[in-house]
Amino acid sequence: MYLAHGITRALAPPVQKFQSSIILKWILGFCWYLLHLVVSLVDMVCFLNHLLLSSIISTGLLRKYQNLKLNNLNCLAIVVDSEEAEDITKTQKLLSWLSSIDVKCITLYDLQGVLKRTIGNDFKSMTNTSLRECKMSKMTVEILSLSDGKEGIAKAANFLISKYMKDDSLRCNGTKPTFSESQVSNALEAIGYKGPDPELLLVYGPARCHLGFPPWRLRYTEIIHMGSLRFMNYGSLARALYDFSKKNQNYGK
Amino acid sequence: MLSYSSLQLTSPFNHRQTLLSSAPRRGITSNDSYASVLPCRPRASPSLISSLPPVARSLPENSPAATLVDEAEQGAALSLPSPLRRELLPSHVAIIMDGNSRWARARGLPSSLGHEAGYRALKKVVEHSHKWGIRGLTVFAFSTENWRRPKVEVDFLMMLFERVLKEDILELTKDGVRICLIGDSTELPKSLQNLSKEIIEATKNNTKLDLSVAISYSGRRDITQACKSIAEKVKHGLVEPEDITESLVAQELETNRILEFPYPDLLIRTSGELRLSNFLLWQSAYSELFFTDTYWPDFKEANYVEALASYQTRQRRFGQRI
Repeated sequence: MYLAHGITRALAPPVQKFQSSIILKWILGFCWYLLHLVVSLVDMVCFLNHLLLSSIISTGLLRKYQNLKLNNLNCLAIVVDSEEAEDITKTQKLLSWLSSIDVKCITLYDLQGVLKRTIGNDFKSMTNTSLRECKMSKMTVEILSLSDGKEGIAKAANFLISKYMKDDSLRCNGTKPTFSESQVSNALEAIGYKGPDPELLLVYGPARCHLGFPPWRLRYTEIIHMGSLRFMNYGSLARALYDFSKKNQNYGK
Repeated sequence: MLSYSSLQLTSPFNHRQTLLSSAPRRGITSNDSYASVLPCRPRASPSLISSLPPVARSLPENSPAATLVDEAEQGAALSLPSPLRRELLPSHVAIIMDGNSRWARARGLPSSLGHEAGYRALKKVVEHSHKWGIRGLTVFAFSTENWRRPKVEVDFLMMLFERVLKEDILELTKDGVRICLIGDSTELPKSLQNLSKEIIEATKNNTKLDLSVAISYSGRRDITQACKSIAEKVKHGLVEPEDITESLVAQELETNRILEFPYPDLLIRTSGELRLSNFLLWQSAYSELFFTDTYWPDFKEANYVEALASYQTRQRRFGQRI
């Protein structure tokens, strides 16, 4: 009995310590999950708030999102994830919304040229114009892919250099090439890769990335990530355009 | 170890992503030729993460080498904030350091103090990048458009750049930071040009972190000067006109000529503006864009961790199907 008592006494402190460390661990774990739950709830509330606001905007109840004043939006660009661009009904719906908001000039872009293949061909058959640009009654739609971006600049470089070499040989000067930004712009125009610089670019896709949109045109473009095209809604679009209309750019000054 | 799930808010209007942690997504270094990039792995569920067995050791547990390796790994793991995973960190981060003047105005201070505070924020970010093993950091300090600012402010900024370079050169050299300057240096004051050359020379053998400072930089000018370089090569017969491709233009860009990782995986802009403002137009094709409302002087470690954590959760496919 004394032996059992002695053993119990000898073992008790480590057992007690072990039990208290388990309890502490459980408490910490509980606190962690509680904190996580609070943050998740706040996050969910914010998300539901945005969803609700988008739905209300879609119904037309909020006046300030009706009759948007888009005087500073000459051209709107839309980048779509190529996989999501396969569903052309979504893109067509987006175009119809933009047409109803009276956006005059739209540039559609996807990395792999899916939009050119699908919507571009539809437009071509309807309006008998080029694959890249189509003038409809209310708006101009330009459809681009990766080949119109960096490859276009490479072709413009080729054009510029060929022109420089010809001029240089005629002058027999052997002068160093001095290209300027305006010369590159003119070269892009000469080879048919010039387009308007969009003031606003909406990115529909999983990644917040412009996916190689023609870099020359992106200098001062506002970029807004709209989430997946699958979950697009009119309210989000109206809100993005409204926020853009309130923007003020200093252009570095 | 406690396992925890990730949160991701994909609302289009919340530009700041609030996350507790990230599920492991393999970060992909952006690449000009997207077809050669490996696709992302599918996202692992949190329960899978917690049930993964620990990595097997190749060294006997009690050997001195094993102890050293363990200590190094432990040190590296301890220096990284908890939501970040070393293998998912971007190789190259670019930052548009915007908001110094607005930060100062909000506090009733002159712009010069805003820029000084911005410099202190930059020092901290360089320190964190160095500590966490990010290999490249490019910061947009002064654009070609900024020359249109009041002369007093421009002169102050030039003096600040000189002072900063003079003061920190020893520390940066000791820490293994290589300084590079991109932009039109001919526009800069002569003293700053000479100092820059000295510093670039002094740090050229450092390998821990490539810090590129874009001063008098324009993305369009970068592309234009690449065309000019190619023209000179064609003139000297080094390149044929028909060999002018996208890759050749990319090679001649300032970043591609001097940096090991020329394409930023993550591009951060502070102060709530949502544009590139003529910064790394070509190089940012596949960069994850992270816009935050925080002004640059207020950009602290927590903000940086938030941006990096956001990067780690993104499913970046670069046009590939997964």
